[in-house]
Amino acid sequence: MRFWEKLSLRARLGLLYAALLAISVVVVGGYSYWNIWQLFIRNKSCHIRARAKPVIEHWLRDNGLAKADSSLSPLKSQTALLLARDLTSRDTVAIIVNRKGDIIANGKRLPEEPVAPAPDEQYLRRALSGENEVTYRGQVKGKPVLVMLIPLRPHPASARVFGVVQMSTTLADIKAILFRHGAMLVSLMAIILILGITTGFWLIGISLRDLQGLLASCNQISRGNFSKVVSVKNRHDEIGQLALSFNHMLEKLEAAFASQRRFVANAAHELMTPLTGLRGSLEVLLRGAQDDPAAIARLSRGMYKEVNRLIRLCEQLLGLSRLENTVNVCKQPLVLSEFFDDFIARARLLAGERSVVLQPGVDARISADPDLLQQVLLNLLSNALRYSATETLIVISWKLLPQEVEIRVSDQGQGIDAEILPHIFEPFYQGKSVVVSGEKGIGLGLSLAKAMVEAHQGTIRITSEPGEGTTVYFTLPLQ
Amino acid sequence: MKNDDKIKILVIEDDPVITEFLSTGLKYEGYEVLPRITGKSGLDAWQQIRVDLIILDVMLPDIDGFEVCRYIRDHGSELPILMLTVRKEVSDRVKGLDSGADDYLTKPFSFEELLARIRALLRRGGKVTENSRLRVENLELDLETREVSRSGERVALTPTEFGLLELFMRYPHRVFTRETLLNRVLGYDFDGGTNIVDVHISHLRNKLGDRPPHLIRTIYAVGYAFYPEETSG
Ligand SMILES: Nc1ncnc2c1ncn2[C@@H]1O[C@H](COP(=O)(O)OP(=O)(O)OP(=O)(O)O)[C@@H](O)[C@H]1O
Ligand SMILES: [Mg+2]
Repeated sequence: MRFWEKLSLRARLGLLYAALLAISVVVVGGYSYWNIWQLFIRNKSCHIRARAKPVIEHWLRDNGLAKADSSLSPLKSQTALLLARDLTSRDTVAIIVNRKGDIIANGKRLPEEPVAPAPDEQYLRRALSGENEVTYRGQVKGKPVLVMLIPLRPHPASARVFGVVQMSTTLADIKAILFRHGAMLVSLMAIILILGITTGFWLIGISLRDLQGLLASCNQISRGNFSKVVSVKNRHDEIGQLALSFNHMLEKLEAAFASQRRFVANAAHELMTPLTGLRGSLEVLLRGAQDDPAAIARLSRGMYKEVNRLIRLCEQLLGLSRLENTVNVCKQPLVLSEFFDDFIARARLLAGERSVVLQPGVDARISADPDLLQQVLLNLLSNALRYSATETLIVISWKLLPQEVEIRVSDQGQGIDAEILPHIFEPFYQGKSVVVSGEKGIGLGLSLAKAMVEAHQGTIRITSEPGEGTTVYFTLPLQ
Repeated sequence: MKNDDKIKILVIEDDPVITEFLSTGLKYEGYEVLPRITGKSGLDAWQQIRVDLIILDVMLPDIDGFEVCRYIRDHGSELPILMLTVRKEVSDRVKGLDSGADDYLTKPFSFEELLARIRALLRRGGKVTENSRLRVENLELDLETREVSRSGERVALTPTEFGLLELFMRYPHRVFTRETLLNRVLGYDFDGGTNIVDVHISHLRNKLGDRPPHLIRTIYAVGYAFYPEETSG
């Protein structure tokens, strides 16, 4: 068992296949060999019996033994010899046995005629008791012979048996034919086995080839190389399917890692700008601008802004990473109208002179984290405020759908170009929109909103018409 | 360095804080700074005003910094251009130099490094034939050999003293506080009181044989300044 487990799948399948093939070939070959042997023997015995039948009938009639009473007297040796002689030929010899089991005549006269085997007691008794078809194999000087016993009776229907003819013929000829046949069979089996096993191994190799590619690819991945894609030879079998889905997974993984790397690079990039401002301002101060109060005021204001920007960036990054763990989402039942009344007050505070309008839909209860929901809305609102002109309207509304509620934030601002729209949710991606009021952003607002909505099993999408305005839709499941 | 006609530097950078410290710092060093926020306004300024050098950010709100650079080069200008980039990728650097920039600096850069690059670019462009010797009155200071002589006589100075004298001679009449002198000569991260500056100044005066009224004046409650005319007059 140990040994078996140590083998590779390929070797195991190959050996199993070879063993099954060998067993089936041996069984089929052995059966056909035995069958032919039986056929030959039956054929021979039938033939000899058919030849003997008219001779015996003739002899019975000629010697007046066909009458029922005549058979009562013991069979005479001379009479029996006549029959034995008639039945003996080059390949067959006949002997006659009387009721007591003694040999009373032997047909062999010429040297080329075969020697008859001594009658077998047991078979003889069966023949004497009236059994017609006693045939068995015996031996004469180590050579196989076929022995047939024919009971002698006055006429075929009579129950009285007054003697038995034992006809024996050599099986050496059949043996020779069968040997040749067997040799042919064995070599044929060997050829089939060799061909079968080699093609079997080959076929197994082909079907497992994708598996080996898979293995090589796995090894590459554990070394951190995601680019090695398994080449798929056959995409319909299970292993091909496995390789395909493996490749699919690999692509996903690679993309995930690439986006991770990009994210880190972008974050570092975003950190660098405020850090440049801070470092440069400090250096200029230290180099002598500290002697000028006006310069101190200007530079420190700038530095304060940069520090705040760094803090905001860190908060947003933390917010994103926190959302990767659903434990940090504390859902609780919320009544939409209550939540939005609360929110709109806050929003108006933030919007200052801008008009933010709430268009309530049918009231319902949802289950959501109020802090996160508020942040989603604030991010969307801040975009609307930042990228649309002061005199335009910002509308927040909701609509009930069968399983969920769809919340919308729309503005009448500059809109977003169609080629930019697909990237808008990528972290750090900033479009070409002009900042109308407030500070330039970092590019995390929408990706944060998306992560927060998805943490609630919701979806978010955006539609925009350049020059007309932008609407962001997101859904949350109803309670 | 003669300051009768100030060197003009066009700064095209959209980040207000970076622009602020660049203007303040460069003005302090004696340059005239023209800050512009967009590539478009930067190009306009370049076309209208004769400037000596451009500091150009790669990420601008309207036109890409590379494009601005290429535009200037395509119009036959040999003006020295120093690019500011954030990305460290080699491809960007190559692109920067391909587009015709003379040099690049990766954010966050040190201001001193920036100054060194600016000086190098100006020298290379032949805009400034900066003498390796500073001469004021009978004082002579060789920046290369770091030798100082007064009235032809060698004066042996420590590196700190040399640094102080160089600063004074570069910016005559400017009043330096002790903090500024400390930062600029002993480094930004020097720990310890500003008294050390007084010690170094007194050594320097002794070595130069500087007697009252001093070349290096003590400005009461502020710091020190260098007044060359006063001694001769
Ligand atoms: N309502 C809008 N109208 C026009 N452009 C928009 C709108 N909302 C988003 N955008 C565009 O999408 C980009 C990405 O928006 P996102 O909120 O993710 O980042 P941001 O607003 O630039 O920075 P912040 O991280 O501070 O929110 C913006 O830079 C802007 O170009
Ligand atoms: Mg935003």
